[in-house]
Amino acid sequence: MISVRGLRKHYQVHQRPPGLKAALRSLVHRSYTTVKAVDGISFDIRPGERVGFLGPNGAGKTTTLKVLSGLLHPSDGEVTVDGHVPQKREEAFLKKIMLVMGQKQQLLWDLPPAETFELNRAIYDVPQAQYKKTISDLIELLEIGDLIVKPTRQLSLGERMKCELAAALIHQPRVLFLDEPTIGLDVAMQATMRTFIKEYNEKYGATLILTSHYMDDVAALCPRVIVIDKGLLSYDGGLDALVQRVRPEKRVVLRLSEEVDAARLSSLGRVVTHESGTAVLQVQQEAVNATVTRALSTLPVMDLTVENAPLEEVMSELFAESKARRTAASEPVPA
Amino acid sequence: MKVKRYLRLLGIQLKASGLLSLQYRADFFTEGLTSLFWTFTALAPLFVVYSERPNLEGWSFGEALLVVGWFTLLQGILEGAINPSLTGVVEHIRKGTLDFVLLKPADAQFLVSTQRFQPWRAFNVLTGVGLFVYAFMHLGRWPSVTGLLASVLLLGTSTLLLYSLWILTVSAAFFVVRVDNLTYLFTSIFDFARWPSSVFQGVGRGVLTLVFTYVIPLALMTTFPAQAMLGRLPPQSLVGAVVGAGLFAWGSRQVWLRSIRRYTSASS
Ligand SMILES: Nc1ncnc2c1ncn2[C@@H]1O[C@H](COP(=O)(O)OP(=O)(O)O)[C@@H](O)[C@H]1O
Ligand SMILES: [Mg+2]
Repeated sequence: MISVRGLRKHYQVHQRPPGLKAALRSLVHRSYTTVKAVDGISFDIRPGERVGFLGPNGAGKTTTLKVLSGLLHPSDGEVTVDGHVPQKREEAFLKKIMLVMGQKQQLLWDLPPAETFELNRAIYDVPQAQYKKTISDLIELLEIGDLIVKPTRQLSLGERMKCELAAALIHQPRVLFLDEPTIGLDVAMQATMRTFIKEYNEKYGATLILTSHYMDDVAALCPRVIVIDKGLLSYDGGLDALVQRVRPEKRVVLRLSEEVDAARLSSLGRVVTHESGTAVLQVQQEAVNATVTRALSTLPVMDLTVENAPLEEVMSELFAESKARRTAASEPVPA
Repeated sequence: MKVKRYLRLLGIQLKASGLLSLQYRADFFTEGLTSLFWTFTALAPLFVVYSERPNLEGWSFGEALLVVGWFTLLQGILEGAINPSLTGVVEHIRKGTLDFVLLKPADAQFLVSTQRFQPWRAFNVLTGVGLFVYAFMHLGRWPSVTGLLASVLLLGTSTLLLYSLWILTVSAAFFVVRVDNLTYLFTSIFDFARWPSSVFQGVGRGVLTLVFTYVIPLALMTTFPAQAMLGRLPPQSLVGAVVGAGLFAWGSRQVWLRSIRRYTSASS
């Protein structure tokens, strides 16, 4: 469905000095630097897959999505989406895809979302009958019946985002790019969006790429993740396998019926936290069984669970790792 | 088929603008009053000049009134149908939402050019027409049918010319600013607005209005149609205006297409 080969996108950035005078002078004498936003990445995505893009800020996730949706021309490399070359921006291609950006909105600000829907219906040439059906489905799934007749500016961020998603789906895109669709939303709204996105993917078999700041989004939605860091692909595979690789240790969470000496806990494994009757231990995977057995026999355990390290931690460790590798690589060789 | 689709799109965009302006119904009266005020301001020197002589450079009072009428009418078209969309594009570029326009399977130039109208500006158009009627009453005759047709044609070319200049201005922004730095340009312009506010307020719009209304060959846009109404326009001028406007529109379209190709949107 999507094929990316050696994609590069370099921006020429004009160095803009501070101050009005310097800024004016720089209009004549311009200095440019090259930002390698995406620096040679390759991957393939099958139809109907849900893939998460992970990476720290400035990694090149948005840039990649924009190239995939035809908004940016790649500096180098080959990209096809369902047989189309995105940058040609053919109508047939544009009718198949959509890019949703959590930080930007297409809804007309002063008019009710219903007007934007109507406009999109006409732009995408959606037949009236299909439009009615899609809209009523979307209204029901997203519970936006009352919202779409109010001016957009009167809606809360979460309500707006739901309508934004509806506006993006009127033409039933087969490929959906979601760039931080849940940014700024509260936990309940994030969960609603997640459920909806998953339902859309399952119902229409749409291919989906998602970037998000919230690891929970990715964990809940994407069996496969692609990690991008500084424009380079550093991991492509299952989320579980990624966690396994970066942080093979497990966490044993103990709820204790009475206070226990810190020393007794640390004899079982590394204590991550220990407060008010709950202790979290980190142990090697092979040692999980033994630790659990020992904990149950030696401690007043009310409840015990074994978990993976939180995704946030896994990620920051992954990024710290690759950063360390980069600095090591760029260390000057002593003469 | 294509034409039909775009006409339908235009209809929807117009409807949206209409709904919007209904939200600001009070504007109807302010627009009306402002339009009348400016018309009379523009007329005042005319009255002064013609109170001393019957004729100026071959133009009688009634004939000069026609020129003012065309000026008023074109101003209404400019501010009602062209400027609002210009402001809209600048906003799109600033907020990075031009991306959404480019994602649509329809001509981007069409979409941005029809995104916003200010229907209340039709008041200027009506004022212009009112001036025509008054002028001809003053002249004591009516225009010929061919003269009228020619002037309507010239209305078309003048509008096309204004619109093409508008497209060129927007495209120039894409080019001059090395694309990736487009946002910088507009933030810089807005930076100015933050200075002594009373001095710079609305400089962006003010300058554009100035350029569009005065710097552009006014003769072509106001004098030609007035002459046509009077039946005094040489046929070759008419042909020249049509061909010229057509070429200009074509050229600006080419520039627009190239600049869109260079557009890279702001990072988010
Ligand atoms: N239009 C642009 N002009 C110049 N540099 C840009 C532009 N867009 C993005 N960048 C730079 O490219 C890099 C990648 O940005 P982006 O793709 O937005 O990252 P992400 O979405 O992963 O946070 C960043 O260093 C960013 O500053
Ligand atoms: Mg981003």
